[in-house]
Amino acid sequence: MKYTLLLFLATILLHSRTWAQSATISVTGEVTHPLQLSAADIAAMKKVTVQATDRDGKAHSYTGVPVADILQQAGVTMGAQLRGENMSKYLLVKSGDGYEVLFSLPELDAAFTDRVVILASQVDGQSLPEGKGPFRIVVPGEKKPARWIWEVTAMTVRFAKE
Amino acid sequence: MNKRWLLRWFGLAALLFTGSRWLPVPEPYVPVYPANFGNRLNIPADNPLTKEGVLLGRMLFYEPLLSANNKVSCGSCHQQQRAFTDGKKFSTGIDSIPTERNSMSLANLLWVRHFFWDGRAESLEQQALTPLTALHEMGQPLDISAAKLRRSQRYAALFNAAFGNSNITGDQIIKALAQFERTLISANAPYDHYLAGKYQLSPAAERGMQLFMNAPDPGKKIRGANCAHCHGSPKLYMELFHNNGLDSLPLDPGREKLTGLAADRGRFRIPTLRNIALTAPYMHDGRFGTLEEVLDHYSEHIIQSPSLSPVLRNTSNDMNGTSLKLSRSEQKDIIAFLHLLTDSTFINNSQFSNPFN
Repeated sequence: MKYTLLLFLATILLHSRTWAQSATISVTGEVTHPLQLSAADIAAMKKVTVQATDRDGKAHSYTGVPVADILQQAGVTMGAQLRGENMSKYLLVKSGDGYEVLFSLPELDAAFTDRVVILASQVDGQSLPEGKGPFRIVVPGEKKPARWIWEVTAMTVRFAKE
Repeated sequence: MNKRWLLRWFGLAALLFTGSRWLPVPEPYVPVYPANFGNRLNIPADNPLTKEGVLLGRMLFYEPLLSANNKVSCGSCHQQQRAFTDGKKFSTGIDSIPTERNSMSLANLLWVRHFFWDGRAESLEQQALTPLTALHEMGQPLDISAAKLRRSQRYAALFNAAFGNSNITGDQIIKALAQFERTLISANAPYDHYLAGKYQLSPAAERGMQLFMNAPDPGKKIRGANCAHCHGSPKLYMELFHNNGLDSLPLDPGREKLTGLAADRGRFRIPTLRNIALTAPYMHDGRFGTLEEVLDHYSEHIIQSPSLSPVLRNTSNDMNGTSLKLSRSEQKDIIAFLHLLTDSTFINNSQFSNPFN
């Protein structure tokens, strides 16, 4: 009986460790449906491919999920709802290394801009290189890729405080 | 009639006077810092800075009664003359068993959001708990520390002034310590004067600063050390965790121990470079005794591994180089610049010194 209990506890412990070791992306804050996206969840979403120039000065094609689609899925006020007080909301994206970058919601919304900011999982048909994956924001047309935040772990939508 | 009113007023004034003695209101402590440090301060709502809290915190910081053998205080491993480090690879507390990591410099903690080399504490209140109670550091449970302070003549009035009662609890000890540490602001180095347009750099320091700020691009013949990528900004650190290529299989897994993520292997907090010339030895394990050794590491010995910072991958002044490949004189210039980050008023500020001396 004692051993069964121990075995049971050990199994739980092992499993929780496995969960802890796979990276996920949380989508929280001013959302109606908080999300905890696994790699499999993101793989199942509709992908687009955009052309963009990285710090190396060369154009690459990046494939991933439009950030707007992720926000829609979480119930963020996009599209027709992006008006009034919702115009003072922002998206803060966080990396596993602690880096943070900010977008205003209209920058990400197809009703406002033709530029499609994506959560990329591939570059030129390959997985992202070590250290920059598994998911990286790509902002086509931006001259400096400082907002191309790599190793994305969290997206938080908030109201600006003042 | 007039006399009666006068007496009433007198009575009321007396009541207010004694009332204020029984219910002391601590005075807010307003930290002073340059505007370019920004206002993203990390002060918990339940522990605002007060003059009385800071004063008490300073006493407690240097109080050996908070250790199990009455010999060790926070100030033992965080010495002001060394920008609040202790000059050792690893510190020793109440016994001879060394700590697992190098003692960190305490400067500009008011802005820090993740404490310890692995960033596991999100406030100074949380952080202080470890050195106070860890078995081989100060090694004393908070309730025993509080009981010892209650027995001392010194503290009842100080706690009363800071917290409105003289219960003396572990929570109050932690809060006062955190308040004092938040006042350890270093903003008066020659580099700060340079940023304010009041200091002329020497040619060597000027060259060193350019290398410090620039990323190398051998294709465009731009020489650089890219230090600013992680140590930029007037505060000279960023709230980041990177693996800086010390080992392929690190003995100390760093942040991985916390998160269980392979990407966090060998990742540590980016430490501040403020007062860096005073805080040897360097790195989380104090493996480098001098700044020359640190520059040699980045220049020649970046070890590749799956969790190596992308900022240090293929970042070199040589085409296809895997380390920075700085010349000897470039390394010297960078070190000349690093010496301008030493804030001598910070290490001599009498507000931060041991009040028992």
